[in-house]
Amino acid sequence: MNVKALLLSLLLPLAALAQAPVIQISGANFRPLPLAVSAPLVQGDEAKAPAGKLDETLMYDLRASGLFQMLDRASFLADAKEGVTAGSIKFARWADVGAEALVKYTVAQENGELRVEARVFNVGSGREEFKTTHGAPVAVPHKLAHQVADAIYRHFTREPSPFLSRITYVRKSGTNRDVWVADWDGRNAKQVTKGGINLLPALGPDGQVAYTSYRQGQPDLFLQQEEGETVRLKTAEGQMATGVAFSPDGKRVAYSLADGESAQVWVADTNGGNRKRLTDTRYGINSSPSWSPDGKRIAFVSNRGGSPQVYVMNTDGSGVKRLTFQGNYNQTPDWSPRGDLIAFTARDERNAFDLFAVNVETGKITRLTQDQGNNEEPAFSPNGRLILFTSTRNGTPQLFVMTAEGNNQMPLPGQEKGAYLTPDWGR
Amino acid sequence: MHPAVSQSLLVSRRSRLGLYLGASVAGHVVVLLVVALYARFTDGPRVDLSQKPIRATLVRLGKPRDAKLLPRKEQPPPPPPKKVETPPAPPTPAPPKPEPTKVAVPMPGVKAEPKPTPAAKKPEPSKTTSKPTPQKGEANGEDRRKRLFGAFDKFSKSSKQDEELEGAEDGDPHGDSATAEGERYFGLLSSQVRRHYDVADTIPEAERLYLKAQVAVRIDRTGEVLEARLAKASGNALFDSAVLAAVKRASPFSPPPDHLRDVLRKSGVVLEFSP
Repeated sequence: MNVKALLLSLLLPLAALAQAPVIQISGANFRPLPLAVSAPLVQGDEAKAPAGKLDETLMYDLRASGLFQMLDRASFLADAKEGVTAGSIKFARWADVGAEALVKYTVAQENGELRVEARVFNVGSGREEFKTTHGAPVAVPHKLAHQVADAIYRHFTREPSPFLSRITYVRKSGTNRDVWVADWDGRNAKQVTKGGINLLPALGPDGQVAYTSYRQGQPDLFLQQEEGETVRLKTAEGQMATGVAFSPDGKRVAYSLADGESAQVWVADTNGGNRKRLTDTRYGINSSPSWSPDGKRIAFVSNRGGSPQVYVMNTDGSGVKRLTFQGNYNQTPDWSPRGDLIAFTARDERNAFDLFAVNVETGKITRLTQDQGNNEEPAFSPNGRLILFTSTRNGTPQLFVMTAEGNNQMPLPGQEKGAYLTPDWGR
Repeated sequence: MHPAVSQSLLVSRRSRLGLYLGASVAGHVVVLLVVALYARFTDGPRVDLSQKPIRATLVRLGKPRDAKLLPRKEQPPPPPPKKVETPPAPPTPAPPKPEPTKVAVPMPGVKAEPKPTPAAKKPEPSKTTSKPTPQKGEANGEDRRKRLFGAFDKFSKSSKQDEELEGAEDGDPHGDSATAEGERYFGLLSSQVRRHYDVADTIPEAERLYLKAQVAVRIDRTGEVLEARLAKASGNALFDSAVLAAVKRASPFSPPPDHLRDVLRKSGVVLEFSP
């Protein structure tokens, strides 16, 4: 016994000296990464103009992603002529302006092609972590910018960015409402319809555009394949089909079909065949379907309980469950590609339209926008990190983007006069 | 043989020195082995500080919000971060507090207790002024005592400004701190680091589940960091530099208590970070 005690008393101080105590620390505060992107080093005068456009697009992409705190170039302390290799960079100067990561890139033009070489450095360790080169025709610097931004985004998050995806929306001009398709930031926009009243467009996973159009008198669904061929999805005579939504695999569509008394949710193949009605209420509205990412459930709006609320059901129409119990005017649900949230528009007690998100499992509602005009029509980015929506905070409705938590709300650049309505985000 | 002869020192007898020597050497070898093995198979004392502090909020007086209504944000969406310049206040040390008997972080010859106050909520000087640096040539013990208390007061007040208020830092005046002194200081360290523990949003969610980095820190008697190095990298360079930066921003720490001073200066302490 005594021997043991003696041994222990001998051992313990020794062990304490040999081994430092370990303290466990968790509960990090996650916040956007302070990122410095230095102005591009442009080789040759002819590349200057496209490099400027490229830089503008690249900076917007990174800023709007909500993941980076883009540091102001005016505050940079480093020499403007500083090199682009780790050896020639004075990292202390970048650390002094608060940067944790640094992006440097060069732009060169040869044979009508714009080439970008970008490098990402860890300011703390002073190491080059990533290098990427991209090329594109001089005419499309924004495309090149999206590619570079995507590579940088992937380097940090190891997941695809939304920068290469496309969006669709309706633009009002005069009495016309036309469907447009554009890059995710609204640049590079192409008009899909030519005049008339066209409503509620949706983008399929393969680039197909579906929308409601009055082009043949009666409102009906039209589907334009990526190659440009447009087909009419036959729906029942004398009924109005709206709110089309593509299934995640792009093979089916859901939409709402209204007659005089009620509106019901239907699904069909993208050629109009194999139609099936999912809801069956004698009166009232069932509309605005949105597919879950696994393609097994559909969220929709119904006023069967007295006021419009968000419901979910299986794709065969079974298992209908009401999801929202707060507010008395909830509509336009959009299911996050991550599956956990459904964003929707609601009118609050002050008669303001704002965006909310409801957790599909718990039914908990969080508010995303507040006190800034009317905010409507949420559409998740393909990675579920961003939400595109319309806002009247600057007057006419315009397209805005924010993070899925409602942070970093920014207008899309270069929007013209005339209302922008009902956006949808494709892949 | 005469019995007296057998006890005589002049008669040579079989020596047992070899036996004792052998036993002694064997014993030492065993001791060393045990020490080596102990060090090999234990990570040292572990302190679990993941326990959440209790947070209380006072509910505003007024009518409750109708459960049928949609929620409102408590604050409008956060505007882009603005830097608020807080002018460094003149270094006037606050007067010493009257003293309960319990000891929080003992100083040489001084009984100190961080001010247990939820009351003070004044705008406070930036943290650099709260650095307790004992200076040479201080003749007056009372001076020094005042300075230390001033530092503690400022520190505990400036910490109140931060969002994340850790209960451990000031603790309960009636807490049983006397027996858990070491842990208490580690708790203080932990909360000081955690306040600066900012990690980039860009770290993929899948990685957040298993990221783990260890920073070995050595601290001198004033709380100044002598050395902070990455003992075990997480595999994500951004995370590694973020945790190192957290330790650097959190330093200097509060001066360690007497009995930890040597350990912290020589072998230091390991901070194990997970998101």
